[in-house]
Amino acid sequence: MSRKFRKPISRRDFLKLGAAGAGSLAASNFVMWLSGCTSGTGGEATTLNVLTPAAPDPAPPGVADFSMDAFAKWQADNNATVVYESPPWPQLHDKMATNFASGQYVHDCMYNCGWVPEFAEQLIPFVDDLPKELIDDLPASSFSTVTWDGKRLGVIFTLSLLTLFYNTEHLAEAGISEPPKTWDELLGFAKEMTHDGKFGWVLNYGAPEGIGGVTSYWMVFLQQAGGTMWGSDGMAAFNNSAGVDGLQFMIDLMPYTDPGSISYVGINDATNVFTAGHATMMMNWPFMWVPAQDPETSKIVGKVDTSVLPAGPAGTASIDGTDAYTIGKSSPEPELTTKLIEFYLDKEVQKRQVIDTGWLPIRLSVLNDPEVQAAASNAAAVLEQAEAPYDSFVTPDYNEVTDTMGREIQKALQGTQTAAETMAISEQLVNDIVSKRLG
Amino acid sequence: MSRSSLSSSLNEIRTAGKYQRSRLRMGILFSLPAIFILLAVLAYPIISSFILSFQDVRLAAGGIVTEFIGLENYAKIFQDAAFRNAFNNSIYFTVIEVVAVTILSLGLALILNHPLGRPAIYRVVLLIPWALAPVANAVLWKWIYNANYGVLNAIVVGLGLSETPIVWLGSPFLALNMILIADVWKAIPFITLLLLAGLQNIPRRLYKAALMDGATSWQQFMHVTLPGLRTTLIISIVLQSIWALKVFDLVFVLTKGGPADGTVLLNFLSWRVTFNYLNIGYGAAIANVLFLLMFLLALAYIRALRPRSSSNK
Repeated sequence: MSRKFRKPISRRDFLKLGAAGAGSLAASNFVMWLSGCTSGTGGEATTLNVLTPAAPDPAPPGVADFSMDAFAKWQADNNATVVYESPPWPQLHDKMATNFASGQYVHDCMYNCGWVPEFAEQLIPFVDDLPKELIDDLPASSFSTVTWDGKRLGVIFTLSLLTLFYNTEHLAEAGISEPPKTWDELLGFAKEMTHDGKFGWVLNYGAPEGIGGVTSYWMVFLQQAGGTMWGSDGMAAFNNSAGVDGLQFMIDLMPYTDPGSISYVGINDATNVFTAGHATMMMNWPFMWVPAQDPETSKIVGKVDTSVLPAGPAGTASIDGTDAYTIGKSSPEPELTTKLIEFYLDKEVQKRQVIDTGWLPIRLSVLNDPEVQAAASNAAAVLEQAEAPYDSFVTPDYNEVTDTMGREIQKALQGTQTAAETMAISEQLVNDIVSKRLG
Repeated sequence: MSRSSLSSSLNEIRTAGKYQRSRLRMGILFSLPAIFILLAVLAYPIISSFILSFQDVRLAAGGIVTEFIGLENYAKIFQDAAFRNAFNNSIYFTVIEVVAVTILSLGLALILNHPLGRPAIYRVVLLIPWALAPVANAVLWKWIYNANYGVLNAIVVGLGLSETPIVWLGSPFLALNMILIADVWKAIPFITLLLLAGLQNIPRRLYKAALMDGATSWQQFMHVTLPGLRTTLIISIVLQSIWALKVFDLVFVLTKGGPADGTVLLNFLSWRVTFNYLNIGYGAAIANVLFLLMFLLALAYIRALRPRSSSNK
């Protein structure tokens, strides 16, 4: 070691060192700030900041591993650099709320899931700027959950409806060759399948709120019973026979439902029971088709199939996962961001999305592509389900409404209050929440 | 005293005073960065939170809009059934946890203080639960409690204690207690080590004297060990109370507050109201009630840490 390294550091040296460090930090920040100022004005690539969930939740090229060459080419062609922030799905809502509350520009494009009405004031209506050929290729009903106050604020990028997943082997052992088509059949089959530690039905009823929470599952049965969530005045319209019947059917299924269902807080918890062969039927999202067919994650490979959900008194119905891309009002590059979303919805990208990740496309032409149908044999069932009503009834207070109501539904499923009592209590609670918003 | 010696003394005092002032100035100068950081990361959020709690805060285009509403958010707390439920759950959770952790940790500390418990390997093993990341710990317990595959059900059913698997997180009160067990498991190591350090500080001669006086083991424990551990026990209880009131990760991962709000604690409620309902003002008010509880406990902690000589003055 040389002498100069053995020299003790004096307080003055220490302060000098600190000042030098702070100076270089400030200088580097200044350089970065300058580079930010010049981006997009000259030869520098324009940076687009995009908030999406991490894979395996629905994620675009660059986060999920598909269409990577096309993505690189799009960036080069548009002189753009796409920077992703991809936290786990459960963190997205809070992150977005915090970003919007700051009033600062953080992201150009952000994934949304049922929160479009809640964040409507922070989003721009860009859908009309997309090519007509693209819009015409999307199911018209897919815009219902991303439209608020007559403005189309997002575009759904995956057809994600709940359908029935069932274990063909379990049914065959009982001499049943077809999945249940009505509530009566579903109840009967579930009863017959419940024996020796196995259950006819499993679902995650543990989390009350949001898409995939217990309230959203009740919304499926509500629609199948012919009911709706909201009246024309925007107030609760479910405290009637349809609301009660929908919940009563869930209660009637409980003796044949995996008892753990009331404690499962995520769809993965329920899916694990189903793919282990411990339950015969469940409602599930299309993306679960791939893990259900993967020998590493499933014990029922080749023994699982999907169909439309069994019909209630008013027929079959479902809810929509509402996975959409939106553009923030604070984005300095809304045109380029619109082009990026257009790229995400490109036919070839949509095709690779389903083939490589299992997330179905939203474009009808791609859904009907034979190669896609061969790769995702559940696509036909989802398309058929899409022909029936599917509404997730999202509003700006969707989280609070579903959370509040879900707690009452959980009480009913545990037998501490009746379906009729639950509907009456929920109507009051939900109307209180809505009244606050409507003033 | 002669004039010259008086002058010399005055000079000495002046020099000493100058030196002390210089020391004070340097002390303040060197403390300033730390004080600035503390103000930025602690005082600013706390003050902001208090200001928010007196406002109605709404998300709007371009950020948030606020309206001063005085004590309305605090008045709402007293009428809110969800708050009462969370408050009761938090008090139950904290009291039971503190009692359980203190008793179990004391037992473990006594074992580790015994000559047979001295090998370092025991302390290393003991630290594992404490060293686990909070969310990893929560996920671990989620699997242990799983109604279908959980190891707890495998044991219970395997031993014939129950014919069918138990849904540990399936009913409100049972779920709250299962979360409690998971948190006790994680909290025990630190408190055990704290108490072990306290035990090792009790002079051996006191035990020898007690033995010579014919004291039994129980009498030694009651009249030597417990009084000797008094300060450490108070610190443990206060710290554990603060940590128990702060629990969030276990509730978030294991139950999301369910079923039927049975496991909602104050911290979780504050998060839910703030981020899920976007009722930022009311969420801040709930957080401030929690802050006040913890602040009182922190004062007790500081008091317990005060040197005995100064507290006796």
